[in-house]
Amino acid sequence: MNTPLAGIILVVLSSAIEGFAQVCLKKSAVLSVRKREWLALGIVLFVFEALLYSGALQSLDISTAYPLGALSFVAVTLFSRWLLRETIDLKRWLGLGLIVCGAALVAGQP
Amino acid sequence: MKIDFSSRRMLIFGIALATILDTVGQLLWKYCVAGLPSDAGLSQAAWGVLHQPLFIVLAVVFLLQLFNWMKVLEHADLSFAQPITSLSYVTVLVLSAFLFGEHIGATKVAGVLCVLGGVWLVSQSESHSEHNPGVRS
Repeated sequence: MNTPLAGIILVVLSSAIEGFAQVCLKKSAVLSVRKREWLALGIVLFVFEALLYSGALQSLDISTAYPLGALSFVAVTLFSRWLLRETIDLKRWLGLGLIVCGAALVAGQP
Repeated sequence: MKIDFSSRRMLIFGIALATILDTVGQLLWKYCVAGLPSDAGLSQAAWGVLHQPLFIVLAVVFLLQLFNWMKVLEHADLSFAQPITSLSYVTVLVLSAFLFGEHIGATKVAGVLCVLGGVWLVSQSESHSEHNPGVRS
């Protein structure tokens, strides 16, 4: 498992988990039933994501792993659209693109 | 304690607070980790952080962050509020330069400008989807 590819897959996976964890928190915030269950699931997923990401850092250079972490913004937006039926207008898509590029640049090594 | 983020002003306050708490959490984490020997493994690092007195503060910050974030999500789209908290990339970078003497090169400055532009664009979109109670039941 100690190849960079495995590390990259772990980072992508942890970004996807972050997206789903945020959806769980959102559901807990707005639903009137099962608020505690969604909150608990969200927190468990965040902890799991942190462990996965730490695992990825062992096989991946920080200068690769940190910029890839910006993918979590993409995951959150896609899951918000698919699972929460939020409307993503053009401004939001463009903003997302800029944020992902910017976050990747900031998080990368100089 | 009743806190309502339904007004635009309170929503902005909530998202700003989320960004600030995120920044403080990350910097505290960095500070805790920086005190560890550089050859420490993952489990040693985690153990070391847990034994820092500052860890209590860090835990409190995380709890506040969660509580505040749940309040924000009651009134804003997830795809609106979450991208805006990417401002913490900017604040962490700037504060790291001040506190830890980290160097900010041209690439990072370009990144900061992209993040700021992106956040501005997202903030121009509607904070809450119309005809949308938030989720499918």
